[in-house]
Amino acid sequence: MGRAREPVRIVVAEPSPREGGGKLGTVEALRRIGRGVRIEVVHDAAAAIELARSTADLVIVDRDLGAEGARVLAALRRSGPPVVIVTPEATADVALETFKSGAADCVTASADYAEVLPAVALEQLRAWRAKSARRAVHQRIRSLERLHETIVDHFPASLAVLDAEGRLVTVNPEFERAFLAGAAAEGRPLDGVLPADLLASADVPDLLARALAGAARTPRIAHARDGENARAFDVRAEKLDAEGRILLVLADVTERERLAKNVRDLRGYMENIINTMYSGLVVVDEAARVAVANPMAEQILGEARGSLKGRAVRDWFGAAAAPDGCIARTLSEGARVRGAEGVVLRADGKSVPVAISSSPLVDADGTRLGAVVIFPDVSELVQLQSQVLHTEKMASLGRLAAGVAHEINNPMGFVHANLSQMEEYLGDVARLLDAARSGPEIFASLARALDAETLLADFGQAIRESQEGSERIRHIVQDLRAFAYRDDGEWVPGDVNRCLDSTAHIVWTMMKHSVVLQKEYAALPPVRCHPKQLEQVFMNLLVNAYQAIEARVARDGAGGTGVIVLGTATRDDGVVISVSDDGAGISPEHADRIFEPFFTTKEVGEGTGLGLSTSFEIVRRHGGTIRALPRDGGGTIFEVFLPLQGPDGQTPQP
Amino acid sequence: MSGDPPTLLLVDDEARILSALRRSLRREGWRVLTASTPAEALRLLDEEPIDAVLSDHKMPGMSGLEVLEAAARRRPNAVRMLISGWPDEIPAGRLEALGVRALIPKPWDDAELKRVLRAALSNS
Repeated sequence: MGRAREPVRIVVAEPSPREGGGKLGTVEALRRIGRGVRIEVVHDAAAAIELARSTADLVIVDRDLGAEGARVLAALRRSGPPVVIVTPEATADVALETFKSGAADCVTASADYAEVLPAVALEQLRAWRAKSARRAVHQRIRSLERLHETIVDHFPASLAVLDAEGRLVTVNPEFERAFLAGAAAEGRPLDGVLPADLLASADVPDLLARALAGAARTPRIAHARDGENARAFDVRAEKLDAEGRILLVLADVTERERLAKNVRDLRGYMENIINTMYSGLVVVDEAARVAVANPMAEQILGEARGSLKGRAVRDWFGAAAAPDGCIARTLSEGARVRGAEGVVLRADGKSVPVAISSSPLVDADGTRLGAVVIFPDVSELVQLQSQVLHTEKMASLGRLAAGVAHEINNPMGFVHANLSQMEEYLGDVARLLDAARSGPEIFASLARALDAETLLADFGQAIRESQEGSERIRHIVQDLRAFAYRDDGEWVPGDVNRCLDSTAHIVWTMMKHSVVLQKEYAALPPVRCHPKQLEQVFMNLLVNAYQAIEARVARDGAGGTGVIVLGTATRDDGVVISVSDDGAGISPEHADRIFEPFFTTKEVGEGTGLGLSTSFEIVRRHGGTIRALPRDGGGTIFEVFLPLQGPDGQTPQP
Repeated sequence: MSGDPPTLLLVDDEARILSALRRSLRREGWRVLTASTPAEALRLLDEEPIDAVLSDHKMPGMSGLEVLEAAARRRPNAVRMLISGWPDEIPAGRLEALGVRALIPKPWDDAELKRVLRAALSNS
């Protein structure tokens, strides 16, 4: 104990020297005990009691102190250090009285006072020290017990002490609340107390057996269903003593398990998305090195499973990873890039067209950590685009064929009818010839009957009209042939006005009943182009304008016509072609979508939804732009800009 | 009907078709009127004692069916007939509802045309 090293304190209460105190030599006698003894001399009861209660180990009271001495004894009688009475002379009565008043001993100042007093003092000191030590141990035990009780009572887990047979000995309030609902615990087996599914899911009997055998304690997770709620418990068991008592701890970890499951689920969910998405995905760090890559990224980049981590993205994304490329800009400026055209250069020499989207990866504080790069393989899309172009060509040819058939049918109809009639006229002429051979009178009679003058005139008229009809058919066929065969698939200097004219001529047959066509052409320089493809664009725009007018006419009821204005002009280093109609117009919610493939507002079978997207694609390949503007007073203006030189400096695929 | 010849109205926006039709029918002895626009056709329906109408279908401003609808209101007893390059595109329900007696394809067969028109005008 720490106190052992502290000096022994002895308080001596005796009269002041002035009143005759000290003549017994008490202090001197006590000094003989040796160093380490601190002696404090006081002359009244109050001082003696105060010192005795705070630090003193022994109090020596001179009987000559009288009533004051009696007060000291009375005060220290129940608790406090021992009190020894010293007296100049003693009788049996005096000794009896001092013991009665609670003194520990009584020493007479005889000749051997100087030897006796130290001996008595030492004995009393030893006894006092032993008593103090015992009291300290008791106090400590009591405090530990209180601590233990407090912990057990307030421990946020269910605690139970079980005997070696697995019966409850004692439980804490949390256990009572959770499993006993006020019922008594002692002596009950665990079976009837804990839910069966809890016991089974963690195999609690086995856990207890292992604890009893002193095996390493491994917590188990148990699951129990409490009505609607599934609960989870962390279950541990620990052998407490040689009697085989076991401490069972059940901590409700439902919330923890739920959060852990959420985290697992979320992680699984995200991994699932990343791993199954039909796009390559890589997360790159600030040094443009791969931190995470999904299987599709490995496939597109042509690398082995799990081999991408740590590699520089410039290994594959030459241009995109270059200083001005989209990945680099995301890393340096936090720029977001969507669907940039890019090419992946693989180690095996293949190149894959991709659409690269790149966004900054930031933490919760907004600090940039790198970039997320997503790149779908668009090689199929590129193929599809050319197929779509072809399909659309076929579709527009179909529409053209229908218009042409319509236009041919009328001349065909009257030429056909005229031929029958002319055959009849020829028969009449033959009969007249026969009649002429038979004689002038017979001839004159027949000529009158047949109204020969009119017949001949109408015969000639029928021939002229039929010639005109066949001429019309010939002209249509010529136009058609020109449209179908003129383009040689090469980039040539083209006359845009002529492309526009010949297209207008062809579709005119279809729309002439409901459309007035105005041409406002400027003199244009030649444009490097595929004339046939441009004609396809113009045809789509014209058909669109025509259909918009038809839609407006149908909407307004009653008959009506519309106006299409074809305009051309030069602008900067290119030409602008505009097709303006006063038709139904494009509703604002469709304006953003009209150039999307397969977007159509038409009935099934009326439009493929490819016309404008094909036009968009063709114009793009010519290095130009196409846009739709609302026309003042209703309708739409489509405006196509084509640079004179075609797409910059190169000769792209048609 | 008195001894007057029956009156037939031909409607087509193509003048050469009207000309060829008239040529085919010139010896039938009917009174043949022609209109190259629906508006003209309506005017003639108002002014002339028309017994039968043969109209082209696809015309600017007004379809043949609409012309026949107008004819049915003006002269309910006139026989109504259509001639069209695309007869299959005309809804059969509307033909029936309008009581269209004949639908003649274009190009037409002269003999067949005369046969149909004779039948129509004989019991008009």
